[in-house]
Amino acid sequence: MKKEKVQVKICVGTACFVQGGSDLLLYNDFVDPAIIAECEIEGSSCLNACKADGAGAPYVEINGVIHSKVTQEKFCKLLTEAVKNNA
Amino acid sequence: MLELNNQYTAMKRRIDTEVLKLFFADELEDKVDALPYSIIPKDRIPNRCCIYKERAMVRYRIMALLGIDIERFDDEQKPLKAYAKEIIENNPPVLPLLTTISTGCYGCPPDQYRISDACRGCFARPCMANCPKDAISFINGQAHINEERCIRCGKCMDVCPFHAVVHIPVPCEEACPVGAVRKNEKGVVEIDHKNCISCGRCSRSCPFGAIAEKSGLMPVVKMIKNKEKVIAMIAPAIEGQYPGTLAQIKSAIIKAGFSDVIEVAEGAEVTAIHEAEEVQHKKANGEGYMTTSCCPAYMELVNKHLTFLKERYSDAYSPMIYTAKLAREKFGEDAKCVFIGPCLAKRVEAVRKGGVDGVITFSELAAIFMAKDIDVREEAAADLGNTENFADCREFAVSTGVAGCVLSRVENPQSIRTQPINGVDKKMFRLMKTWEKRAPEVDLIEVMCCEEGCLNGPGTIVKPMVAKKLRGGNKAATPVKSVKSTI
Repeated sequence: MKKEKVQVKICVGTACFVQGGSDLLLYNDFVDPAIIAECEIEGSSCLNACKADGAGAPYVEINGVIHSKVTQEKFCKLLTEAVKNNA
Repeated sequence: MLELNNQYTAMKRRIDTEVLKLFFADELEDKVDALPYSIIPKDRIPNRCCIYKERAMVRYRIMALLGIDIERFDDEQKPLKAYAKEIIENNPPVLPLLTTISTGCYGCPPDQYRISDACRGCFARPCMANCPKDAISFINGQAHINEERCIRCGKCMDVCPFHAVVHIPVPCEEACPVGAVRKNEKGVVEIDHKNCISCGRCSRSCPFGAIAEKSGLMPVVKMIKNKEKVIAMIAPAIEGQYPGTLAQIKSAIIKAGFSDVIEVAEGAEVTAIHEAEEVQHKKANGEGYMTTSCCPAYMELVNKHLTFLKERYSDAYSPMIYTAKLAREKFGEDAKCVFIGPCLAKRVEAVRKGGVDGVITFSELAAIFMAKDIDVREEAAADLGNTENFADCREFAVSTGVAGCVLSRVENPQSIRTQPINGVDKKMFRLMKTWEKRAPEVDLIEVMCCEEGCLNGPGTIVKPMVAKKLRGGNKAATPVKSVKSTI
């Protein structure tokens, strides 16, 4: 059976994009290619998480779970974890 | 210079947004004094020594955003409400552009080289052999630098095989190309405004946020709120700063309350045509090299430090000035022209040359978007009009782009030799000084004070390497895909 890829959505709404989200677009430069191969990464419109708590941008959704204040480092860690749990 | 994304810029953006929210809701005077407390709540784990200092710094940031000269008019007992009231009644003066926050300054020790524990006291001792001032001695098998003799040349650092020598700079002093940032007798940062060229490097380099630019945002949002005819002149560097195409950015700006948008690339075309004629004329008459004149920090540099270049720079006005003229022709004499760009020095140019009613940065525009809950990505594309003639001039924002646009407008491009000055730091400033004695053997020198051009200006949001991938066509509409496909 073919394994499902980890679904990753990087929020590229204006608020996330201008508060550090644009940095995550360079994921090819800082995430292990083997991890990226296991993920389906795409941009997404506002995830509406910012409407609930204003101070958590940028947001990333991984397999349906929303994470806040995602830096490059945190992004790396989250993806690695998600891929491990997916196996 | 500091990485663009850090806690300080995040905090700045948050403060800008919160202040604007209050302003647009007519609550600025009533609620501004509570902002430092809501932004720094008491259960926060502080990054500075304590939450009280953090709150004080938020207060100063708000003052800088209001455009107050903190150096001169800081009255600790005066509530923000009183400052806000003054600002809403009268616009504060623009100059000097930068202001220091002495409370925030850490008072970094002087620039120094130090030998760390990694020193093995080796036999070869290249540090000692290469020190031009005999400042290195060995005590207990480890190298030591005699501070009084050391001239901070850094040779010992270059030659140490164990990388045991560290350079500890003073970030603001190191960043200033012209030596206008210094410590006063109390050891706290001070800007020599007579020599400052307003490039903004110091404000970007201080990790404590002790140097702030007095913002020009309030006069602009006041005009918007009063429903005046405000025309947004968007700098060519804007493409790639927001998650949307130029056409989407245009409709977002109009939604934010501007009456219309004009691209500064349109004025850049006038500059390019003018400079193309000039450089050909100079070449034909053997008058030697010419420099561009569109970078306002460079213009300050010439007027304050490199006066011999006054006869060398192009007579053309900057794209901003031409665009303001075009905007008045197009939208009427009563139009208020606001430049939206990556640049702090443009505010100085606007004061010196006139004709421009306001200057704000991309990050301030982002705060307006956030305060008004506008998502560029969700906006429909506006009509940009006929951009065919000046579309290539959007490259004015990138190093070598200005020269490229000029060259494409001369008759014989191969005959014009060009040289880009990609960023003016201390070293480049020294080099430019030598031009007085030895003229560079080129025809056109393109000067940009920021490395990589305006894309890396102090008012930008997105790193140049990301922004470059999002420029052109519809790339910015799908940022994740666009960045991926260009790698």
